[in-house]
Amino acid sequence: MPKQPINVVLNGKPVTLEVEPRTTLLRALREFGVTSVKRGCEEGECGTCTVLLDGKLQKSCMVLAVEAEGRKVVTSEGLLGPDGELHPVQKAFVEEGAIQCGFCTPGMVLAAVDLLNRHPDPTDEQIKEGLSGNLCRCTGYVSIIRAVHKAAAMLKERR
Amino acid sequence: MKQTITNDGVGKWVTRQYDVEKAAGTLQYTDDLRFGPELLHAKAARSTIAHGEIVSIDVSEAMKVPGVVKVILGDQFVHRFGLYLHDRTPLAVGKVRYVGEPIALVVAETEEAAEEGALKVKAKYKELTPIFDPVKEATDNSILVHPELESYEHVPFIVPQPGTNLANWFRIRRGDVEKAFEESEYVVEEAVNCPQIAHGFLEPHCCICKEDPATGYLTIWTAAQSVFATREIIAAGLGYPLNKIRVIAPPIGGGFGGKAGMTIEALCLAGAMDPDVKGRPVKLHISREEVMLTSWVRQGYVARIKMGIDKDGKILGMKNTFYFDTGVSAEYGANPVRSAGYTSTGCYYVPNVWTDSYAVYTNKPFGGAYRGFGLPELMGVMETIIDIAAHKIGMDPVEFRLKNILEPGLKTCTGMPMHNHALPKIIEKVVDKVGIQKKEEPRRPGWKRGKGLALAIKAPAKPADASSSAIVKVLGDGTVEILAATMDMGQGTYTSFAQMASEELGIPVKKIRCIYPDTNSHPYDWQTVASRSCWAMGMAVKRAAADAREQIISLYAQYWQVPPESIVIEHGIVKCRSAGKAEPLDERIQNGFKMPDGYYHGGPIIGTGSFVPPDVIYPDNETGQSPKSVVHFTVGAVGIDVEVDPATGCVEVNRVSSGYDVGKAISPMNVRGQIEGGTVQGISAGLMEGMYYDEKGRLLTPDFTDYKIATIKDIPEEIDSFWEETPEELSPYGNRGVGEHSMISPAPAIGNALFNALGVRIHTYPFSRERVYKAVQMSKTGEEDLWDYPYVQEQNYKKAKKEWF
Ligand code: FES
Ligand code: FES
Repeated sequence: MPKQPINVVLNGKPVTLEVEPRTTLLRALREFGVTSVKRGCEEGECGTCTVLLDGKLQKSCMVLAVEAEGRKVVTSEGLLGPDGELHPVQKAFVEEGAIQCGFCTPGMVLAAVDLLNRHPDPTDEQIKEGLSGNLCRCTGYVSIIRAVHKAAAMLKERR
Repeated sequence: MKQTITNDGVGKWVTRQYDVEKAAGTLQYTDDLRFGPELLHAKAARSTIAHGEIVSIDVSEAMKVPGVVKVILGDQFVHRFGLYLHDRTPLAVGKVRYVGEPIALVVAETEEAAEEGALKVKAKYKELTPIFDPVKEATDNSILVHPELESYEHVPFIVPQPGTNLANWFRIRRGDVEKAFEESEYVVEEAVNCPQIAHGFLEPHCCICKEDPATGYLTIWTAAQSVFATREIIAAGLGYPLNKIRVIAPPIGGGFGGKAGMTIEALCLAGAMDPDVKGRPVKLHISREEVMLTSWVRQGYVARIKMGIDKDGKILGMKNTFYFDTGVSAEYGANPVRSAGYTSTGCYYVPNVWTDSYAVYTNKPFGGAYRGFGLPELMGVMETIIDIAAHKIGMDPVEFRLKNILEPGLKTCTGMPMHNHALPKIIEKVVDKVGIQKKEEPRRPGWKRGKGLALAIKAPAKPADASSSAIVKVLGDGTVEILAATMDMGQGTYTSFAQMASEELGIPVKKIRCIYPDTNSHPYDWQTVASRSCWAMGMAVKRAAADAREQIISLYAQYWQVPPESIVIEHGIVKCRSAGKAEPLDERIQNGFKMPDGYYHGGPIIGTGSFVPPDVIYPDNETGQSPKSVVHFTVGAVGIDVEVDPATGCVEVNRVSSGYDVGKAISPMNVRGQIEGGTVQGISAGLMEGMYYDEKGRLLTPDFTDYKIATIKDIPEEIDSFWEETPEELSPYGNRGVGEHSMISPAPAIGNALFNALGVRIHTYPFSRERVYKAVQMSKTGEEDLWDYPYVQEQNYKKAKKEWF
């Protein structure tokens, strides 16, 4: 199938992706070399492919790449500071042991960032609601909840 | 005297290796590797029927799809593979034996073209009657899944029964059970069943294979737990020498046993070794649906236990019959059957034992290794029936357990004396933390509350001579690389190894790195399974690090002309206090020291260590007896507090407490992680997981919509994890495994709690809402036992049940 160019702002930089009309945003990003978006199911169930699309959580396997034309995409690498330092959410995940295999982590981190944007001081219930679209088979989520609370505290300090 | 000082050695809370790149998203898993335009993609066309002869396969339409390079059929790649029993071909040859079995491999320039091509492969079959019911098929041999069973190679400790559907039959024969039953005051006989369940790791299987067309050398990049086992299985299947195969395992996104042994690599090789393809790398990434349909599952089972108990509550005899549904292949699944068999009296001392543990072939996806390896299955039955028995004899279930506990020195069912452990103390703590013996009001109005206890036990299940080796390299700036071919799939072993090396070398953990496995660089390790790595590979890593330390110390002793005992390595600085010397490890560790004699001595420091368990003896195939059947057991207990909504059958977990005797927690952060993660995985299995098929053997639960695993909303309100440390004698630091154990007992603990809440015993896993709702209804009419059969052949089962009891 013929490919067409689409323009997106990927982690702050304008880029052009060459895609077929049937290509999902997930596959287009991965082909472009952004492999932090993982394909755990490609049917919208697991959340490993999560990105922020125009600031909103989006499973990138559930949109076509052409739908991202002109929009902003943020992936986990895009959260890193200028010198590669981890975002407070990423840091809290490391410190709390909220990562095991790490396959869910980039998506989970983005879901946590999105949650903390909306609820800077979240309750356990809000955390559970905010991360309920992202599966993790390893951690049992307990350490992830700890990490999100810790990240909230770290972000508050930064503000 | 100890000659090293470090702040983050064994037992310290340190953060984990590779977590920074995992958090950033920059760590590359197999699917993330890039091979350029040379790369071809493969996709399997799969059987749509459960049992049949292949009449014809038409690939002409598939070949017309632009980009399709080749379609390979089973008769073009006839090789039999298997870890313990060679019963598996990567592509169906002549016959299909389950829905989803690969019948053709489409190789194409793009993944999309391969996917399109696979849809266009057309097969004609002559259908045969499929079989699904392990209880029936264990005795009814009119239809055989593997009529050729006799010709399959197998290891001596697996005992297939040619002419039947039994891929393995493990036995324990000790004492006289019938006499014990006669002498018993009470005889309790009950059964439990459970469907197959899926691992649910989030990274689907993926591999890339390439053959060098000039030499035939194979390179395989794969999401595998055990590079060396993968290599050995492939070498044996292909008739290749080991050193012509290189297996590289990038980080993997969860395994839980599902990426042990060999998975999809041979199927990918069918593409990469094809004469028209070889030379180009071929990638096979399977979809979530294919993962559910055609990779390992935990075996389903139907199990019965008969117990004879004297008037004081002592168990005198036990007769166990376990039917494991191993599906179409038992190449790996034959061994959990054995593992359940040789632990078949659980955590209890039973003088007279008779066990038959069968692996039964059926026309379903194949059973294999899954976290717990036969023990969640065994304890799923045992801890239920122990609870039933306690109630039947009118004894408190906690007291009944303690009365029969396998105290140190008492013999397990294989005749091996039990080692020291803290199980009674763990039980006491769990009972106390959850208030097991206290009735409490439900937190939610109108709900029913109950508490339950279940014990856990498991030994590493592996060949007697499963060995490990490691290399510790000290680099020219005092940093360290560890080559230990264990896969850190999330369990955190690399952090543990780094802590061990830090302990032995006096070098901070942040300067130590473990390298992901590659058979070309790493020394041999049997497999990353069985919760054995911190123990067995830990022995090798400790020895290798100590070897490196001794080399460093002896070089410095010579260099400074001081006695070696006076030297200490402290946070990466080598010191001799008496001589007033202190120098950081630097390039001399690599390039050698110019010694007082004027000559260079030393050169790169490479520490090596190897380990093989010295004294394990296979249980006798007739009686199951052995003076040392396994290396050791890790024991533990789970207490759980649940509430049931009588209106919906919904179960909420208020609190769970899980404790294990880990011997020594090398890396506490990871021990906690393993207990928390496994507890939730076990609760998930107990409440919602099961693979179901229609009457034609088509999987009804091929995705995470229909196969539900716990989300963050499904976890208990409170999870308490703890451990005790009764040191293991032969062990790097007294440690024992704990990775799998946390998965073993949450499910039966929930069953016991539900009985406590409702007065109804549910004999069928999982405790899904509809089933619990049914139990609630039964509790109103005074019925006490709820049985469902997981298979569609309900009629057969009812008949079988009648014959059983
Ligand atoms: S890959 Fe997109 S939700 Fe699973
Ligand atoms: S860490 Fe493995 S799936 Fe979350």
